[in-house]
Amino acid sequence: MATLVTDNCQRCRFTECVTACPVSAFRAGEEMLFIDPDTCVDCGACIPKCPVQAIYEDLDLPEHLNEWIEINERRSKIMPKITNKEPPYVGADDRKASLGF
Amino acid sequence: MNQTADEIQTFHGGCPHDCPDTCSMQFKVQDGKLIGVRGNPDHPITQGGLCVKLKDYEKRHYHPDRLLYPLKRTGPKGSKQFKRISWDEALDEISTKWKDIIASDGPHAIMPNSYLGNQGLVHGLNGGDAFFNRMGATVCERTFCGEGSCTAWLLTVGPTAGVDPESFCHSKYIVIWACNSVSTNLHHWRIISEAQKNGAKVVVIDSYASKTAKEADWHIAPKPGTDGALAMAMINVIISEGLQDQDYIDNYTVGYAELTERAKTRTPEWAEEITGIPAEDIRRFAREYATTPPAAIRLGVALERTYGGSQAIRAATCLPALIGAWRHVGGGALQFPVWEHPYKFDVICRPDLIPEGTPVVNNLQLGRVLTGETKLETPIKSMMVWNTNPITQAPETDKIIKGLEREDLFLVVAEHFISDTAAYADILLPAAMGAEMEDMILSWGHLYLTYNTKCIEPPGEAKPNNEIFRQLAKRMGYEEENFRWSDTECLENYVDWDSPTCEGIDLAYMREHGFARLKDFGDKDVRARHAKGEFPTPTGKCHFLVEGATNFVAGPFRQMYEGFQPGEALDSLPDYLASRETPDTNSQLAAKYPLNIISPKSHGFLNSCYANVEDKIKRQGEQFVLINELDAIARGVKEGDQVRVFNDRGAFEGVAKISEDVNSGIIVATLGYWRQLNNGTVNCISSAEFGDMGHSTTFSDNLVEVSLA
Ligand code: SF4
Ligand code: SF4
Ligand code: SF4
Repeated sequence: MATLVTDNCQRCRFTECVTACPVSAFRAGEEMLFIDPDTCVDCGACIPKCPVQAIYEDLDLPEHLNEWIEINERRSKIMPKITNKEPPYVGADDRKASLGF
Repeated sequence: MNQTADEIQTFHGGCPHDCPDTCSMQFKVQDGKLIGVRGNPDHPITQGGLCVKLKDYEKRHYHPDRLLYPLKRTGPKGSKQFKRISWDEALDEISTKWKDIIASDGPHAIMPNSYLGNQGLVHGLNGGDAFFNRMGATVCERTFCGEGSCTAWLLTVGPTAGVDPESFCHSKYIVIWACNSVSTNLHHWRIISEAQKNGAKVVVIDSYASKTAKEADWHIAPKPGTDGALAMAMINVIISEGLQDQDYIDNYTVGYAELTERAKTRTPEWAEEITGIPAEDIRRFAREYATTPPAAIRLGVALERTYGGSQAIRAATCLPALIGAWRHVGGGALQFPVWEHPYKFDVICRPDLIPEGTPVVNNLQLGRVLTGETKLETPIKSMMVWNTNPITQAPETDKIIKGLEREDLFLVVAEHFISDTAAYADILLPAAMGAEMEDMILSWGHLYLTYNTKCIEPPGEAKPNNEIFRQLAKRMGYEEENFRWSDTECLENYVDWDSPTCEGIDLAYMREHGFARLKDFGDKDVRARHAKGEFPTPTGKCHFLVEGATNFVAGPFRQMYEGFQPGEALDSLPDYLASRETPDTNSQLAAKYPLNIISPKSHGFLNSCYANVEDKIKRQGEQFVLINELDAIARGVKEGDQVRVFNDRGAFEGVAKISEDVNSGIIVATLGYWRQLNNGTVNCISSAEFGDMGHSTTFSDNLVEVSLA
């Protein structure tokens, strides 16, 4: 049970989400971020920061994204913490536009 | 509020809940409806985020169970059978009844009962005080949380905000003493975790591994109620190893010789016996604390919840002066910064209206008061409850229910929902919520004033608390001008806008900006309030020794009334004072009830608020009981079993979670769950006996037994 990152977060790294988090719950995968469900306190601060609506609280998660609960649980345990803003990936803006945001 | 259908307007809000963070919010309003809330990104503490409880605050405003109309009881007490009546009928019935009671029994037969269910200056804790003080009703002392700590703090350092919570960013050694910041002080945690990233060591002292303890560099877990021994042993180590700041002590403190004498026998070995913490750890902790400036202590509310809790706070409050921590920005101790806020409690509460000889009852002992166990010259015949829910929040719950079942008790409740307590009301009034009323929200966690805009209309016929009191005052014939003040006029009168700390700030400024930093003593990067002593005590010094001190409850928690203060003599020095109920101090009771229970706040609820909201219950989970494997095996309890927790005072049920987060001998069950949705609640087992100062609670001073349900 927690807040989690879903597949819209691919090659973005806008990472505004990360700086909003009061408990350093974000983990950095190569292509996308994950949230450690055992650290996240569900404060919701990161959700509006994401420009491509990649972050959901599990209670509001559209059903077709259910698999991401388990992916966040698993991947967050092996990926390093990310607590500072990073430069966005090249092409992040295009990707954002292609997702319709 | 002129707006076209699709235009979204943003208004300044302030979180009114009982939480030190007092977040500055943004209300998003469209078509007269609250459509969302955000943390104010410009506020240095809120920093754009709220918390798990408030992030969808708009949903609470539109919850389908909200009370919309005044109700009158039609079934037996507690049956939740009501019929809709008009406001006129409701207010007429209340005022007629009260006038009858005053004529037959006198005003002492009536009592108010409120707490910090709303922290607004106008609609919150003290909102009805002027009304009931004018009536001459029995004064209600309200000491749910922090009052023992207030007494201990005021005696030692006076009404100072201490170290600025924001200045913790400069601290290098941070002690969080009995506070689960991650769940209950999240925005302070954020500052602390930044400091931690920058190299500060964070030590959490808590009897179980809370979310915050798990984030700490070092978690120290004394047995419940033994923090005083730990603090005294720290004093012992600091003095015996010469780690004290003698210059600071000589110039800015009182009673060093006496404290030294007292601490002589409070060795780490002595404390190890009591606390269960190895003496070497205590030494290391004291040394690190004394030699890693700036060192800051965050005193949590939970520290006072045992018989000797306030003495422990006094001891801990001596530490920063002993090592001269106050010299540094980011050094010292933090209790409640509210002491430096410019609120005019005498204007809010009007204690001048209280007739001489007015008696006092304490809300922790409500059950005893209502059942006649507490002998009162005039027994209580009527009570009005608002901003509080004693059935879940006060101890000895079963007794409270017995009292509320009394046919001859006329109970008036103003509420948002049919809470456990509201279920017993004779007249139930629908109260307005956050975005529906203008107010300024007091803070006991930072140095900002916070404004809250009325930006939507209350649903149905709900009314703000202050409007209820205005209308009642009219019917009761109270003509003092304050009973005619609008909410805006109240704010103009309740805040000391002319004080230096409000320089450049007025109500218009607050409306425009939503928040304002208090101006005294500089910002977080310069504030070292007691670098040169200047404590707001009678001597201007920090008092290790307080001669002739007597016990008292701080004014705002007793309608600013000074009559019938507890008054018993206090120890002139801090010390360890043992709990009433532990296996070490009460072996007879422990033979029957061998486990100590701690009942912290639930992560997903705010006291009992939100514990009726489905999503929040899902988030928080059902009532659980954390229990160590050894204790579970001894009772045949397996993970997930429904267990019963009980003692002579009562019982509640929860799901067993076997966990190393608690040591053997301790169980943890969090607070807030509603009795109408559960089998009993935590406070069924809690004692209503006071702690050693400020009539504090003793929620962590209770022995229980656990069995399969
Ligand atoms: S802002 Fe959204 S898309 Fe970008 S890194 Fe964060 S979660 Fe991923
Ligand atoms: S919900 Fe809050 S705690 Fe969880 S990841 Fe987002 S910002 Fe961090
Ligand atoms: S409950 Fe506390 S943390 Fe949550 S929004 Fe209110 S003040 Fe902020």
